[in-house]
Amino acid sequence: MTLWDLKQGTSATVESFCAALQGDYRTRLSELGFHPGEQIACVLSPSLGAPKLYRVNNTVYSLDDSVASLITVA
Amino acid sequence: MTSKTILIGSPNSGKSLLFNRLTGLNQKVANFPGITVNISSGKSIADPDQLVMDFPGVYSLRAISAEETVSVDAFYAGIKDPEISSVVCVVDTTRLEKGLIFALQVINACAEHNKPVVIAANMIDVLNSHGMTMDIDGLATALKVPVVAISAKSGLGLDQLQELIANHRQSPEPFSSNVLPRDMIATDDSVVHRQAQQLAASFGPKGDLLINSQTRLDQFFLHSWFGGISFVLIMFLLFQSIFTWAAPIMDGVEAILQFAAGVVIPLLPAGAISDFVSDALFGGIGAFLVFVPQIFILTLVVGMLEDSGYLARAAVICHKPLRIFGLTGKSFIPMLSSVACAIPGIYAARTVDSPRKRWLTYLAIPLMPCSARLPVYSLLIAAFIPATGVFGGVVGWQGLAMVSIYLFGILCGLLVTALVSRSSAALQTDLPFVLEMPPYRLPSWKPLLRNAWDRSKHFVTKAGKVIFMVTVVIWVLGYFPNQGADLGESWLGYMGKLIEPAFAPFGLDWKYGVAILTSFLAREVFVGTLGTLFGIEGGEENVISLVTHIQNSGLPIGAGFALLVFFSIALQCVSTLAVLRRETGSWRLPAQLFISYSIFAYAAAWLTFIIVQSIAG
Repeated sequence: MTLWDLKQGTSATVESFCAALQGDYRTRLSELGFHPGEQIACVLSPSLGAPKLYRVNNTVYSLDDSVASLITVA
Repeated sequence: MTSKTILIGSPNSGKSLLFNRLTGLNQKVANFPGITVNISSGKSIADPDQLVMDFPGVYSLRAISAEETVSVDAFYAGIKDPEISSVVCVVDTTRLEKGLIFALQVINACAEHNKPVVIAANMIDVLNSHGMTMDIDGLATALKVPVVAISAKSGLGLDQLQELIANHRQSPEPFSSNVLPRDMIATDDSVVHRQAQQLAASFGPKGDLLINSQTRLDQFFLHSWFGGISFVLIMFLLFQSIFTWAAPIMDGVEAILQFAAGVVIPLLPAGAISDFVSDALFGGIGAFLVFVPQIFILTLVVGMLEDSGYLARAAVICHKPLRIFGLTGKSFIPMLSSVACAIPGIYAARTVDSPRKRWLTYLAIPLMPCSARLPVYSLLIAAFIPATGVFGGVVGWQGLAMVSIYLFGILCGLLVTALVSRSSAALQTDLPFVLEMPPYRLPSWKPLLRNAWDRSKHFVTKAGKVIFMVTVVIWVLGYFPNQGADLGESWLGYMGKLIEPAFAPFGLDWKYGVAILTSFLAREVFVGTLGTLFGIEGGEENVISLVTHIQNSGLPIGAGFALLVFFSIALQCVSTLAVLRRETGSWRLPAQLFISYSIFAYAAAWLTFIIVQSIAG
């Protein structure tokens, strides 16, 4: 499943990035902590398709579907 | 000899606060990723020969947006500069791994250019308050550069840091962990990431640091209902504060000016000098000064929202709705900054990483209700809208009118971007939306008040100069050749009547025409010009407020509304055009915007006049 599918209050481990995600963005996401093997928790999933809040290490980021749906987690 | 130190770090690493600590300058401490786009510098308190330069916060030396490219290029230029004696890299110890990725990039870059590096391990007080600790010495040994545990907030460890800034002159070696060949280091990102991960695991704090209250606050502020309601409420309070609540201060300023005029003018010999002082100085410039309290309050409230961490949440809330209009949530900060002034708004648009979305944001920025429009709006609203209110006067009609005209400007901006973005498929594609949520915190009042004061002062001195010059020219043209006996027969009167037909369709006479023409230099000049013109015409009893003058001039209500609409659309700001030219690299966009928004403003004003006059009877 993708990071976007992750339910509020649950965690998963990053597996890979989809090919559609630009190289620059893969690097940046890795720098922010979203790299394969890292555990990510979805702390908030607002309704109406608004960007969701994810926690990695001790930081919270907001990601929208255009990026979160390109990260596969398990 | 003065030596210079570069201060660099990731957004929200506490870098700006450390800069304030080291220099005593109250540079603005913002709580939104990437808000510092200019390099500020200040002399070190401990050593006046040491100049500290605060570089914009970046996540990585591998830039992925225009704003980051500017900052990263500046950093590389800085470390090649022989005057730079050291680099301080600020790392947030509560998020060590992320900070170390950046620190390793900085160490490797500095090794290449022979610049000494010191790592400032910030927020050590937060670790301590959670009963945690980290191995500072171990990290220093592994990195082979000095690492100092500091707290920019409490001042802990700053003496040691200053000591190192002054004396540490040894260049670092490129970082290498013993498992990897040396030539892989600077180039391969994944290697740096792995190294940072290992270092953080070996020397970093172990445990959960995120405060649960942040999650609870996010659950409220980003809730589908409460979040939306609190957003609308916060924006509403923002606009109420700049109109209804600023009124007593504005009345105070006006009273002081009237008192000063009453004291000064009788002391002057009657004739041209006394007329000049009362019409041009008190009438023209005084009319503009009255509005400074509003600019102060607006800057203060926007700064407060920024500092509290709320603005990043507002960007999340706005992301989806803004996408309908072809923009992104990241456009929200530039657009809100433009409510204070379009110039910082245009700079803040660098944080919009997609070039197309940034270009669309530029289209919306000039239509955001900037504070230079505020004096014009305030004047016209005070002249045409009754000063009564609902709910016992807490919410005034004038405040509501102000909210409406502000919303009108914002709506026009969104409409333009929606239409333009739909004109091409390329403009609808977007880069991924990733935004760090800074921790919520109580705003620190001192820097906020200082910033609001600086902005107001800047506004008075910068706009004041233009207003003074325009006022003097207008006064001379209006006063001569007949010593103010008949304004209509003056040089200005003749010129004004030439252009009168252009403004006649929306019920304005030549005085307003002249004021509109001068306002193309800067919007607030409109108020000064009108003040001077009515001052000359008013003769002896001219020390009555400009609002009363307008009410007595018999201007139809439709013309008042037409003026409001005209000013909310037209791009009357030389500085905005110049900054847009600098940011986009050509005159193309500024010229297109100037011409199209002038035509749009004229047409909309004319339509407004017709509609309002037909309703008013």
